[in-house]
Amino acid sequence: MSLVQTENLAKIYGSGETAVTALDRVNVKIDAGEFVAVMGPSGCGKSTLLHLIGGLDRPTSGKVCIENVSLGDLSDDKLTELRRRKIGFVFQFFNLIPVLDAVENAALPMMLDGAKAAQAKARAREWLTRVGLENRLHSRPDQLSGGQQQRVAIARALVAEPALVLADEPTGNLDTRAADEIAGLLRQVAEAWGRSVVMVTHDPRIAAYADRIVFLKDGTVVDETRLNSQNGNGAQVIRGKMNALAE
Amino acid sequence: MKIQLTLAARYLWGRKLRTFLTTLAIIFGVFVIFGMNILLPTMTHAFETSVLNASGQVDVLVTNKSGEAFAPSIMHRIESIPGVQALSGNLERTINIPANYYRSGSVGALSLIGIVPRDAQQVRDYTMQKGRFLQNTDTRAAIITSSLADTLKLELGDELSIPTVNGAVKLKIVGIRAAQTLPGNEPVWLTLNEAQKLLNAPNRINTIEIKLDTTDAAQRTAISNAIAATIGDEYQLGGLASGSEFMASLQTAQQIFNLMGFLALFMGGFIIFNTFRTIVAERRHDIGMLRAIGAGRRTIIGLFLFEGLLQGVVGTAIGMALGYGLGVLIVEGTRGIYQQFLHMQLGAPVIEPGLVLLTIVLGVGVTLLSGLVPAWNASRVTPMEALRPNVVTVETRRRLNKWTIVGIVLMVAALVGLLSQNISLVALGGFAFLVGLALLAPALVKPIAQVFGAMLGFIFARDGAAELAQGNLTRQPSRAAITASATMIGLAILVAAVGLISSITGGINTLLEKTLGSDYLLVPPSIGVWGSDVGADETLAERLRSVYGVSAVSTMRFATTTVGDQTINLLGIDPVEFPKVSGLNFSEGDPNTAFEQLAKGRGLILNGVGATTLKLHAGDAIKIPSPEGEQTYRVIAVASDVLNTKITSAYISQENLKRDFHKTEDVFMQLNLAPNANRAEVDARLQEIVARYPQFKLVSGAAYLNEMRSLYTTSFSAFYILLGILALPSLIAILNTLAIGVIERTREIGMLRAIGATRKQVRRTILAEAILLAAMGTAFGLLAGLYLGYVMTLGLNASGLYPLQYSFPYAGVVAAVALGLLFGVLAAILPARQAARMDIIQALRYE
Repeated sequence: MSLVQTENLAKIYGSGETAVTALDRVNVKIDAGEFVAVMGPSGCGKSTLLHLIGGLDRPTSGKVCIENVSLGDLSDDKLTELRRRKIGFVFQFFNLIPVLDAVENAALPMMLDGAKAAQAKARAREWLTRVGLENRLHSRPDQLSGGQQQRVAIARALVAEPALVLADEPTGNLDTRAADEIAGLLRQVAEAWGRSVVMVTHDPRIAAYADRIVFLKDGTVVDETRLNSQNGNGAQVIRGKMNALAE
Repeated sequence: MKIQLTLAARYLWGRKLRTFLTTLAIIFGVFVIFGMNILLPTMTHAFETSVLNASGQVDVLVTNKSGEAFAPSIMHRIESIPGVQALSGNLERTINIPANYYRSGSVGALSLIGIVPRDAQQVRDYTMQKGRFLQNTDTRAAIITSSLADTLKLELGDELSIPTVNGAVKLKIVGIRAAQTLPGNEPVWLTLNEAQKLLNAPNRINTIEIKLDTTDAAQRTAISNAIAATIGDEYQLGGLASGSEFMASLQTAQQIFNLMGFLALFMGGFIIFNTFRTIVAERRHDIGMLRAIGAGRRTIIGLFLFEGLLQGVVGTAIGMALGYGLGVLIVEGTRGIYQQFLHMQLGAPVIEPGLVLLTIVLGVGVTLLSGLVPAWNASRVTPMEALRPNVVTVETRRRLNKWTIVGIVLMVAALVGLLSQNISLVALGGFAFLVGLALLAPALVKPIAQVFGAMLGFIFARDGAAELAQGNLTRQPSRAAITASATMIGLAILVAAVGLISSITGGINTLLEKTLGSDYLLVPPSIGVWGSDVGADETLAERLRSVYGVSAVSTMRFATTTVGDQTINLLGIDPVEFPKVSGLNFSEGDPNTAFEQLAKGRGLILNGVGATTLKLHAGDAIKIPSPEGEQTYRVIAVASDVLNTKITSAYISQENLKRDFHKTEDVFMQLNLAPNANRAEVDARLQEIVARYPQFKLVSGAAYLNEMRSLYTTSFSAFYILLGILALPSLIAILNTLAIGVIERTREIGMLRAIGATRKQVRRTILAEAILLAAMGTAFGLLAGLYLGYVMTLGLNASGLYPLQYSFPYAGVVAAVALGLLFGVLAAILPARQAARMDIIQALRYE
């Protein structure tokens, strides 16, 4: 059984003549513990897909189910609760609260869920240690490098033990080395810690860390590739496919 | 809960300057309300203590309702009531002591108490520290307290001089009692006979002290009730409330200060609202992220309300602490003045629990209320916001929305109200005008910014600072409008008050000349507290009249009476002499025959305040209690003069005052000289006569007129300073908006610097923006202020309190423009510096 399932998912921005179709009847399935990368040229709808899966935005038609619960049937409060408990988010711009330190930032989802501060912070410390920030527990975001900030964001995404982690261009604001480290960390999230990870990226090298790549163009799924040891260098394969899409 | 509190505190702490400035707005409002409200209760307390002090040591006290002295015959009726053990009829009177009367020490007033020694000792304990008690046969003998003896450095056997109706009199000190411990004037006891002579009240007493023969509470109540039934309606149980007229005018002052405090808080609300709106805009990313990772809408609302709550609580606490300081400062600073001029001994500052509660509710309430709408808006931020790049929003929707239309309607209604000349419509119009202007403000921002921007363009022509500033303001018209509205309220109050005051001053000057136009005045130590001024008996006026060259002497006598709760000062004049030396400003009745009518039967000329509070008009009748029972007086006219502008008072003939109130004491005199009089000679002769009555000061009319004028000018300039302080929150508002604008546009400023703007150019852009904002607020403020000033003058005129002529407040307009621009420039200093010093790379990276 899939963790995430979309059915004819569509999103149209605006109306009438100015209407822009961002997603057009998309059907994807994501299994538990799977690391999926979503790729495609700019404006292909990859971020929109991520937002809809994450319940951040509502589709124009079609539906998203997470653990067989259709997000469209949920009230704002219920949807919020689902995001809090089942989904972790990692953003391109890290989006940490500037006035809180690493532990406090990472503990936020649990605190918002009403957990005791001590318990939430203990878990946050645990996760920060796992992502390699045991020495920076009490640094504020402005005292951390981009890669370190993104690690805090990953710890925050994992602290509530969600089933699904959504990452929108998580390496878009990082240098090559930090990008590799973060991509490796996300791979670990799926492989070692058993979460499903959906990552939007336009970087083939980063996408190569995933198990499966979903290619989007003009709002529809045009290709899907499962990466394994048989098809050799993942990044090469992906580049080839991207070039083909661009034509 | 906890996470919201943590976040709120961290965010506030993270932006210390802004938090400080926003909180300052609350601090200021709370400060004014709390500080100013300490004074009145402190004075009331002092006042009550001195009344209590006088009445507290005896079982029952009986006085006449009019407050005046009465015949002792009523004592026989009380004596025969079962349960009354002893009683003592006294004549007590506070007498004002002129400044520097005693060389050895300073005393503002004394409480003269005439007693029958044997009776008094049966009612109270008169333990002597030194010397002996009074005897019936004593003349010119007195008992004082050891504290007064210390103050004036007097010993047993020394003489104490006091001003009396027969001139200064020396009393021999035969006994000294223990020191006075309670607040109040120092008492001086003498025999009743002697007191009656010195105070020109033959065979009169004004208090009856009664001792009961039981300590059982129920029985005492029964006896008190029996006494009350016996003495009838004209008398009352309880002490004389001298000085209640001052409490009344203090209450008016208090209300003005409260109004100022409320307005300051109101402006504070505007500022907080503005800040919160900006905070919401600034933190869209953070809010969106919180929503994305699972914060509910209520959590977001709570976060902002917590921030408001924290600021409200801290601001209120600091405001109250500072306000307490202000209260203490005022009480301590004016202690001497009250002692000297009002003859009131102030105790420690009094804080009423109700005030504490009210201040907290107001301070915290205003903050929370102002944060409510922005908090609600924040909760509407979608999680998607977290993922969008940070772009400063530009308001593009058209401003001619329903609120603009409501604003226009309100302002038109206000103008119609003004034209109707109906006073309640005019007053309602004043409010409608302010609200209408505030609603209209967003739509006016763009045109006004264009006009002033063009003007600024001449100054900042070369580097385009004016255009940038104009653009910066008009892209957030509602924020600029709210800032301008806050400035508007501050400056409108200033302009309106100046308009009102200059109208009042004009009116008062006319009055002053009419009232104090005589050649000479004999002035008692305190004008206004007539009741405790010791006057002179008829011989002084006769002596003055006999001076060769004096053509007319008009004297004024005084009594009080109480109608309902309203104390009325009755001023006795000679209907023939008074018009020769003085005059009144009539608003009702016939000025030509008013004084003639005063001489016939019982009639009175009421002042404007009296006519308004008692709701009387010329031709009405009024029943007033007197020591001779209730009397019916006819209102001949309504007219005012300078001597009685604030307090309810009425002129009656001296004949009536004598018959009904038994008062013949002259407390104030005005003299005119014959045209051919030798001024120097008359002057010398008058000085000689008046020297025997040290309670009076002989001044020339012209000199006194100038003295009064400068007194008014001084007190009004103090008022102007207060108004200026009230405009202070507008400075905070402008500063706040500018600072927020700079923070919000950090990246833009970095870009400007990167493409080649110099620090100076950035600074000038902010300065131009500040001046534009201030100019807008000032323009609104002038408009609203002129309107309100006109409305208030109309209102006061219609109420008949003062005769006013509207005069255009040129000074106020100039002051408001100067203050507005000054605030603009001052407010720009910090944000401009911050913007100019910005590190380009960091600014470009700023999230």
